[in-house]
Amino acid sequence: MKSLVTEEEISNVAKLMKIDLEDHTAHIKRVQKMLEYFDILDNANVESEEITVQETDLDKLRDDKHNPYDKNLLKFLKSYQGKYVKAPKLN
Amino acid sequence: MDLGISALNYVSSIKNGEFTVEEFTSKSLERISQVDEKLHAFLRVNDLAIKNAREIDTKIKSNQNVGKCYGMPISVKDNMCIEGSKTTCASKVLENFIAPYTSTVISKLNSEDAIIIGKTNMDEFAMGLSTEYSAYGPSRNPWNIDYVPGGSSGGSGVSVSANECIASLGSDTGGSIRNPASFCSVVGLKPTYGLVSRYGLVSYANSIEQIGPMTKTVEDSAFLLNIISGIDSNDNTTIDNKNQDYLRDIDIGVSGKKIGIVTEMTNSEGLSAEVANATNDAVKTFEKLGANCEHVSLQMVPYTVAAYYTITSTEAGSNLARYDNIRYGYEFDSSGFEFNSYISQARSKFGPEVIRRMILGGFVPSAGHAGKYFLKALKVKSKLIAEINHVFEKFDFLISPTVPIQPFKFGEKIQDPVSFMMIDFNTVTANLTGIPAISVPYKITNGLPIGIQIMANHLEEHSLLQTAYALEKTVDLPEVPV
Amino acid sequence: MTKIGLEIHCQLTKLESKLFCPCKADYREFEPNTNICPVCMGIPGSLPLLNKNAVEKATLIAMALDCKTPNKIAFFRKNYFYPDLPKNFQITQLNAYGNTSIGWEGKISVENKEIKIRRIQLEEDPGRLIYEGVTEKTKLTLVDYNRAGTPLVEIVTEPDFETPHQVREFLNILSDLLENLNVSDPGLEGAMRADANVSIEGGSKVEIKNIGSFHDLEKAVHFEITRQQSLAERKIEIIQETRHWDDGRKITVSARTKEEEAEYRYHLEADIPWVRIDDNTKNQLQLHMPESISSKKERYVSKYGITSQVADILSSDRYFSELFEKANNETNAKDIANMITTDIMGLLDTREKREMSKLEGDHISDLVEYIKSNKITRASAKLALDEVIKNGKQLSEIIEDLDLGHVSDEATLSDIITEVLDEEVKAVEDAKQNPDIVNFLVGKVMQKTHGKADPELTLTLLKKNLGL
Repeated sequence: MKSLVTEEEISNVAKLMKIDLEDHTAHIKRVQKMLEYFDILDNANVESEEITVQETDLDKLRDDKHNPYDKNLLKFLKSYQGKYVKAPKLN
Repeated sequence: MDLGISALNYVSSIKNGEFTVEEFTSKSLERISQVDEKLHAFLRVNDLAIKNAREIDTKIKSNQNVGKCYGMPISVKDNMCIEGSKTTCASKVLENFIAPYTSTVISKLNSEDAIIIGKTNMDEFAMGLSTEYSAYGPSRNPWNIDYVPGGSSGGSGVSVSANECIASLGSDTGGSIRNPASFCSVVGLKPTYGLVSRYGLVSYANSIEQIGPMTKTVEDSAFLLNIISGIDSNDNTTIDNKNQDYLRDIDIGVSGKKIGIVTEMTNSEGLSAEVANATNDAVKTFEKLGANCEHVSLQMVPYTVAAYYTITSTEAGSNLARYDNIRYGYEFDSSGFEFNSYISQARSKFGPEVIRRMILGGFVPSAGHAGKYFLKALKVKSKLIAEINHVFEKFDFLISPTVPIQPFKFGEKIQDPVSFMMIDFNTVTANLTGIPAISVPYKITNGLPIGIQIMANHLEEHSLLQTAYALEKTVDLPEVPV
Repeated sequence: MTKIGLEIHCQLTKLESKLFCPCKADYREFEPNTNICPVCMGIPGSLPLLNKNAVEKATLIAMALDCKTPNKIAFFRKNYFYPDLPKNFQITQLNAYGNTSIGWEGKISVENKEIKIRRIQLEEDPGRLIYEGVTEKTKLTLVDYNRAGTPLVEIVTEPDFETPHQVREFLNILSDLLENLNVSDPGLEGAMRADANVSIEGGSKVEIKNIGSFHDLEKAVHFEITRQQSLAERKIEIIQETRHWDDGRKITVSARTKEEEAEYRYHLEADIPWVRIDDNTKNQLQLHMPESISSKKERYVSKYGITSQVADILSSDRYFSELFEKANNETNAKDIANMITTDIMGLLDTREKREMSKLEGDHISDLVEYIKSNKITRASAKLALDEVIKNGKQLSEIIEDLDLGHVSDEATLSDIITEVLDEEVKAVEDAKQNPDIVNFLVGKVMQKTHGKADPELTLTLLKKNLGL
């Protein structure tokens, strides 16, 4: 069964993921093909499955200690003004 | 001085004074300058390598404690952070990113006196199977430079195969170590999920990826695994391997072992004739070595590629969200821009495959679609894990060809997305279940390599390496032509 | 019937480190971007390391609010792009695969009304955007990431509140509770923030965000109810939306932008395994949980005979109830409690003053003893308190240093009284007409003795002297 994922939907997702899509059609067509392939999951018959996760114990977690980072991280970052990081203006 | 030497033999040679670290390092750098323009395994070569070599030679001469690696040159895939050096993940988006800290695995290698000789090429952000998606140009297969070396750890595979270095660290999310290992005829191991720390590995799909060694021999793989494995307080997903020695008893053999031939992965329709041949051959070899081989079915395998891409694109969509070029990235002045508009433009510098995964990753977990795609994929993963656990009650190991086909020419597979994804068909199972898997070079047919994959149950690297060793010992492969 | 619900974010300021890294939890003293590390900055390759004590403290909160707690907790990613979010996702909690957040289905009593708690979750705070000096012409945003990764507990109530006053009361009770549990200092700037949702009978639910203080919250809720009622009266539809509180104009305004239909693509945070919290751990936490405010109050009233009003004030303040416990000896409990609530609270009314204070429990019980045995007057006691707070010296020393000893021998007093009568000729005259003026003369005697004169004796002697 082919799922009809429209160009518009894919365009909207690109906006959600904050990516300007230059060559729209090529990307969109390939993504449509991949999503069509994923339809195979419908045949897997896994409705009743529970998900599997990794677990740990409370006592294995990090102790609550203040340990200041010993390097000046700000100077590794690319764009700062005085002590602040610069970001583009928000609307 | 043979640059094709294994890591273990290198160490004995250094200890025996056959050559110095500086001599070997120098020759390796020479080799790189000779062949790498053609092969493009490296993105960057370490210009302090000779200096490091001299320091280690001094330590050796003055009888100080020297680390296990004795200055062997090791390359590292460019998605692992090294303090003060560029880590680009073969992307334009991280063109200027200089890591402020060092990955745990590299710290471990450094404290054993390895020399990190350079950072290797890869598919951008580890998304790909042929290194054709590197933003800095592809790497080439040293067995035939018109053919791909595999991916995403293509550069790593090439650097070891072409004797530009002794070993390499790659990363494996869906086959990214094993695939180039098979294509380049080297040994590639994906350890059990959690065995090796991911601290410093730039995340692509953090629930399933692992760092692993790419080496010339199985023993070398065990040697490196001894160094890089173990619980790390900087990575909460690491597990305790209780200080296993993976080299111990590596030659014990496979007599009496039960080996399952995974039906879905060895189905002749999916394999090229050459690969099918090599696989049948390998089965016969195992039987001659005293193992009992039998076909076994893993019913979830046909769904694994779809499940894999659904899960990894979701995680990638999240893991790569931080690349908005504000705190680190590449040169692109943000003055005058509005936030959303700036980051959308900055992020359009991702390569085409990354962009497609970002879109998929935005789509499949989103509110209207998560049930159909993402949640189902997680359930497939669960059912597969149950299947694998069940199968390992009867079998000690599972085998298949690593890749259903041999290396292909540049541009040949990249057009059709679905047949491209299928190249991962045999490898993603190990990632989705977390079990360890290794690719052992088995045959060269028509001048191109074929590797055999062996899988074992969780944390069974020790016996996995024994079985790989047994197979490797039966094989006598030609030298790389480059 | 009006329905109001709250979403409160509370920083766990009593922790030493952030939720996922060892940077400091309380970022307030740091220069911008100096309380950061690769983890909280989301530098590529970094991984979150969950703070054990944060889980424990959050569980305490859940227990104190009578919530159900899980056997395993899990973390999720909430994905969206914003400059204050270093990874462009927030690690938070969700109940997507069963109940895996720190607590759910709890309750708390406010003015005899039961407010149900829907859920409690542990999550990280983002960084801060700097708005000072930003104008229309400003071409950029400045970001300080010191706060990024600070541990937050989000408490979501059912829409059980009916009036703005109840909301305000609840917030006070909650603040006291959190302070009493020693998990947070709600008085710190930005330590507690809240959003509200409001709906009137038959109307849609409206969310109100961007509320700066609890005082504003009460106002905002009140405004919103009024706005909705006025729309209803005019038969205009109340749109379901998110509105922002405009503190300048004291109104709520529509925020019809990115808030609507946000797609967060929630999925599990695979870098943090699910954490098992067994019954044993929960029992230990319960055992060591600080005594609740209501339990303290009851104890103060029933055991020590302290009035309900004083007990109320004392029990709901962690600092002073601790002081009381240290000072307390069974016999003087009432006087100690009174001294704390009447005199000491006023003297130590800010955090800075409390931090600098050298006053200890023993000082208070000594002081009360001295007053009882007439070694010092109440007025002098106040001076003594000032001094103790400053230098923490023994009371006996201070009384000597400042010469605060009670003047109660008749001879000395008589001399002073004679002095005053000589000086205050007019008052003496007036006093003979109006007996109340004697108090003025008592005051003069107190002045001359620096508050040390025994007031009763002074009054008696004065009256005698004046022939009253």
